[in-house]
This record gives sequence, C-alpha cells and structure tokens, in this order.
Amino acid sequence: MSKKEILSGNQSIARGFYEAGGGVATAYPGSPTVEVIETMKEYHEDIYSEFSMNEKVALEVGIGACYGGLRTMVTMKHVGVNICMDPLMSFTQSPVDAGFMLVTGDDPGMASSQNEQDNRILGKFANMPIFDPSDSQDAKDFVIKGLELSEEYKTPVMLRITSRICHARSTVELGEREEHMGPKFEPDPSKYCMLPPHTFKHQYTMKERIEKLQERANDLEINKLEEKGSDVLVITSGICYYNFKEVCPDVDVFKLGMVYPLPIDKIKKLSEKYSKIIVIEEMMPFIENELKLHGIDCVGKEFFSFTGELHSEVIEEGLVKLGVIKERQLKDTSKDDTTARGPLFCAGCPHRPVFDILKKAKVNVIGDIGCYTMGLLYPWEVLNANISMGSSLGIIKGMRLAMDKQGDDQKPIVGVIGDGTFFHSGLPGFANLKYQLTGEENITMIVLDNATTAMTGGQPTGESYHMDNMGQDMSVEDIIRTMGYDDIQRVDQFNYKEAKKAIVDATKRKGVSVIITTRPCALRYKIKETPFEVDPSICIGCKTCIKTNCPPLRMKKYEGFDKEKSSIDPNQCVGCGICAQVCPVGAIKRKKESK
Amino acid sequence: MVNTNIILAGVGGQGLVMTTKIIAEAAYLSGLDVKTNDVVGLSQRGGKVWGSVRLGEKVFSPNVRPGEVDILLGFEALEGRRFRKELKKDSSVAIVNKYQMVPTLVQQGKEEYATDIEEELNKYAGKLIYEDFTQKAVELGNKAAANIVLLGACSVYVKDIPEEKWVESIVKSVPPKFVELNKEAFALGRKLAK
Ligand code: SF4
Ligand code: SF4
Repeated sequence: MSKKEILSGNQSIARGFYEAGGGVATAYPGSPTVEVIETMKEYHEDIYSEFSMNEKVALEVGIGACYGGLRTMVTMKHVGVNICMDPLMSFTQSPVDAGFMLVTGDDPGMASSQNEQDNRILGKFANMPIFDPSDSQDAKDFVIKGLELSEEYKTPVMLRITSRICHARSTVELGEREEHMGPKFEPDPSKYCMLPPHTFKHQYTMKERIEKLQERANDLEINKLEEKGSDVLVITSGICYYNFKEVCPDVDVFKLGMVYPLPIDKIKKLSEKYSKIIVIEEMMPFIENELKLHGIDCVGKEFFSFTGELHSEVIEEGLVKLGVIKERQLKDTSKDDTTARGPLFCAGCPHRPVFDILKKAKVNVIGDIGCYTMGLLYPWEVLNANISMGSSLGIIKGMRLAMDKQGDDQKPIVGVIGDGTFFHSGLPGFANLKYQLTGEENITMIVLDNATTAMTGGQPTGESYHMDNMGQDMSVEDIIRTMGYDDIQRVDQFNYKEAKKAIVDATKRKGVSVIITTRPCALRYKIKETPFEVDPSICIGCKTCIKTNCPPLRMKKYEGFDKEKSSIDPNQCVGCGICAQVCPVGAIKRKKESK
Repeated sequence: MVNTNIILAGVGGQGLVMTTKIIAEAAYLSGLDVKTNDVVGLSQRGGKVWGSVRLGEKVFSPNVRPGEVDILLGFEALEGRRFRKELKKDSSVAIVNKYQMVPTLVQQGKEEYATDIEEELNKYAGKLIYEDFTQKAVELGNKAAANIVLLGACSVYVKDIPEEKWVESIVKSVPPKFVELNKEAFALGRKLAK
C-alpha cells in the first residue's frame, strides 16, 4: 500500500519539491505561503532553503541555483512578486536547463493582504506557464509536473496557489525522492546575459515555447474533462472546482490544472458540442478573457463576483441566475450580530508602549508593513498612511516636504518600520532620506526592532541572530550610523517613562532622528514572566491601563466595590509591566505568591 | 454516508490549528476521506480564528456550507456564539468553552460582552455542552490543554471515528512530554460530554 499523509497545500508543495529532487528553495515570508519553506527545513539534508532578505534577493539566489543546474523553487505572497518583477521579467527570457518554479500565494478576499492582485496576469506578462491546484494532492503533483515541463520546454514556470488551498489539508499520496541534477553551468552569454543582441532571439523563444505548451495543453493529463451528459460545460480550476462540485456534481466540467496557456483547440472543439461554456474563477476574468481572445464564446464574471472567494453559496447563486440550477438550496445565514473581534498586539508585545506614547503625543505617524501595521486599528488609530513594505521612508520624506511648504514645518512627523522590513526594503529608503535632505527638516524614524518578522510567525531577520545565538549578526544601528546618521538612540520601551521622553524629545528636534526600540517579540521568543495583578482597593477606575489595549486587561465588578475596577486575566498576562507603569496610582503590582 | 461537518471557532493562540490537525488525522486513521481548512493570517494576533473539518466517504470542498454544521467547537464563548446560525437545526451539537477573552470593543467599553450566549446557542443547537474548559484544563495542570478537553467532548459525537483512533492521533500530534496530560484531558472531555 502506498503511504499517505494529511498535508496542507503548503506542506504538499514542499513535499512535491522534495520528491522532484529539488535542490534550492528560497523565499520571503508572506502569508499565505510561509509554511512552504518552514516545511522545507524538514528536508534540510537534501534541500538548501532560506528566507532571504526580500523577494528580489530570493529570486536572484534562485536564478543562480537554476543556472547552476539545480531544480529550484522560489516562494512568496502575491505582492512579493511585485518586488522581484525586475529580475523576473528578464530571467524568464532565458532558456533554463534545470527546472524552475515560482510559487505565488494569491489571496482572494484579502484574508491577510493589502490588496487582491491576480498574479495569473503577472505570470502571463512574464511569459510563464501557470499551474493552479485544487487541493493538496494537486499541489504536490503540479510541483512535480511543473518542474518536468519547465525542463522539457526550457521555461521557468509559476505555481499560483490561493490562501484557501495553502491552509486546507487533505490526504496526499507520498512518493520517494528522485535525485535530480541538471547540467553544470557552462558560460554562454546568449543564454544567460540578457542584453541585446542576445535578447532579440529570446522574444521568439518565449513566444514559441508558449505556443508549444498551448499545443501540449490539449492532452495534458492535469487538464481533466469530466463528462456527465449535461448540455452546458463549466471550465474552472483551483478551489472553485471543488466548491462547484459541492453544489453541482452532475454538470460536465473541464478542470484546468494549467491555466496558462490554455488548451484552446480542445476547448474550441468542445464548444461546438455544448450549448454554453461557463467559466468559474476567482478574482479577474483571466480564463474567460483568454477564451474570448481566441474567439470562444463563454460567460463568467457577469454571474460570479469579481472580488473575494467563490464559496459554494456564491457559485450556487450564479448558477441559479444562469438557469443551470433550478432553485437555491443553501441557507442564507444572515450577518451576525456578535461583537467583532479584530487582531491586536499580543500580551507583552513590545510595540504596545510605543504606540501608547505616539497616540498620547498626537503626532502624524507613517506606518509600514508588519505587526505594527495594527497601529492603524482601533483603539490606536495612529497610522496615517500605510502602503507597502519599506515605503514609510519614502512617504515620510515626501510628506515632510509637503508639510513644510504648507506652513506646517513645526509639526512633528514620525515613521515606524520593523527590523524585518528594514532589511527587506527599508535600506534604500534610509539611504535616500539621508542623501536628499538639507538636514533641517524634522523627521523621526522609529525602528521597531523585535528581532524577527513577527507577523508571519517569527522568521529570522538580519537582527535575529543575536537573540538566537547563531549565524552572523547585523546591527541596524551600525548600518544606519555608517550611512551617516548620527542622531541615533537605542531605547528600552519597557522602561516606559524614559522611552516616552526619548521619543517625544526626538520629535521636536530638527534633522532626522532615529530611535531603535530594543525589546524582542513576546510571541516569537515566548516571553512569560510572573503576571501582574490589580489591587481593587487602590484602583480608581480611570482606565489608563485599559487604554494600552493589552488582551488580559478588562474592567470588572469586584465584590464590595460599587465602581468597576481594572482586572488582569493571569492566564493571558506575560508580566511585561507596562500597565503597571502607566497606572497613575500604583494599583498594579507583580503577583507575589508565584515565584 | 453523509459527511460530518465540524466548525472550530476561537481566538488566535488557542490551539485551533493543532486541533483541526488531530481531528483530520483521526478521521484518516479511521479510513475516512477528510478535508480541513484553517482561516489564519492577520487574525492570529488575538483576532478571531476559525477552521472547518469535513469527513466522510468522499469530501469535495473543505468549506462547510452555511447552515450545515453538525458540530460546533467554540474555544471561546463569544466565538462560539458567532457561528451559532451555521448549525444544522435539531441534529447538531455545540460544545462551547465558557471562558471569556474580551475583544477590543468590549475592553474599551464600546460594546458589551454578550450575556445571552447560552440562550442563543440553545436556540440553534440540537444539544449544547457549555463548560469552562479552560478552567478544567488549569485544574489538570495546563491551560493549554483546554483544546484537548473540548476535543474529547467532540469525539463522543463523531460516530465514525472509534475512540482508539482519537488517542492514536493525539499521541502522533503532541510533543512526547505532553502525551499523558493530553490523554487525561481527552478522557475528561469525553466524560463531560456524556
Ligand atoms: S503586565 Fe500588563 S501590559 Fe504586560 S502583559 Fe500583563 S496585563 Fe499586559
Ligand atoms: S490605571 Fe490604575 S487606577 Fe486606572 S484603571 Fe488602571 S489600575 Fe485602575
């Protein structure tokens, strides 16, 4: 009997790469694909894997490995591909000898992303074939198949996966690893140096290999036709396939494993047989538009939402409108009235005191991407702009210039950036900021150095190594100092009063002042000290501590007191002491009996 | 055979993903088809987290369709309440932890923590088990085992998975030094559910 296991989509991708004899896997952590590389570490004897400093570097490391003859995988979230778009567009011109796969995690519905871009567009833009798995078994199989086709057609390929598939688990049949070694690197500028005149012929190479693959798509076994005898045909891929099967198991369906290029000839022939072709796909009408470009009549987006996930109930709704289903079976569980629960900084999070200080200081704050992005949520609401990784430094500069012209040159402006983001793409921003200003403009940058990329679950950054006692450490402070900044302070934000003074003073100074906060991530480094407790006889119920928004804090009724007083759930408190420091009457103290 | 649909709902950090995994493994060990789904991401930081498990002879989508939940596992009281309308009327079971974690809006005094949780759940569930599972776990020696106490209660209502497969799955999934604690927690959950 073959061996089976229950794996998530992400784990299956890693497993597929292992079985395919993969050699190098790189990534930048980003939801929903983080787990791919985390799983790869299980195969560390066979596969070199790394979380690179950003997606561009990850891709470049991958390009080198692929040119050197190793099967290569590079993974990132959808917006990550934007960061590596520059090398990607030139790389895909080169005819590769070793299999190369770019994994992009798209996020229909934006469960954990800043936008909903559809990377199938980018795949086509970069002339890459695109694979779109429907469950974990597909994910594993498509990695193996994709790498084979990559070598057969000498093309880098894309595996487009969505959040739902990344995190869904289902049974996967396991195979053995087959060692795979491509040819050694042989210098050949016409293959590896993307400059004219070499690039001229590659425009034809790219066109031809997509045409050949389009031909091949017609009998590619991962494009599956299921015939049930209906007079309409549904064309779909990814999770939509299964969500469709849930509501409509008896209609003919063409499940695409490769969504670009499409099996055009086959679909053309099929379209003669059916009264209607219906395309079901999430986000953009990608397949639909491809079909229409080739003169194939079909319907799609006008019946299914252009945004969000296409759950069974959404698909059912569209199919009712289309007359494929007679009437709706699924209940409408109307909007719920239960109090919303949004994300918040963890108990003992080192960002909390910083945001408490910034909120009280009422300054204009420019955010960046990381846990601290939550500073834009209630009850903080201190971030006034938040766009993409590393963008705070550029935005703050532009805004400073505008504020000064508008006569607001006395108003402070503060930017925040984490250490992960600093290494990802904050460095050029810091360089630019230093180089382009007169030195008179008042800007404060706070580097929230918690020694990890916390939002994605605690992957390493250049600053993690001093916490983990491993590797070669890099210091944010040394780097910034080398760039020529001299107004730099390291601050222990758990010393609330001193941190407050340092930050507030810095916002009043001319020039760029840099504050580096030094407490590590409470979650990643599992910080847990003796909890604090409230003495209700001292507490005056002013809610100053509550305003810090630490999860264990809440107002409650104590016996013998009329007024509600603060309380701390000892099961959740990690003992950072911030609430105790902001309490004006000293009602919060570390518990005595334990320890 | 019809599918059994389970929804797990709680707050980031309560061990939901791990619990989903254990259920899936137990189903697999019992020879069933199984698909699961976790909604993680931003919500990991103390936000709402939920997942689904579907098991049976053949499962298509990992998502449970609205109104078709057989078993609701609420890891936190308010989160249990949130999913009540997804329950199948009459035949369903809701197993909900009385333990409260206050969302920001309640903490900051903007909204009240619901006081009608038990009543609301009773309206939608065929059967309700409403206990402070966190307190039970603290009494056993580790609050982190609350999810396994809940799981024990759940196991009583998944007819297609025999008891020993649950235990086998737990042993496979938790670190060796916590196996005994988790076995106890599981047994306690079963007792509470009967
Ligand atoms: S000491 Fe106060 S601020 Fe720190 S974790 Fe405990 S409740 Fe939160
Ligand atoms: S800050 Fe102090 S006095 Fe005010 S509510 Fe909190 S514990 Fe009570």
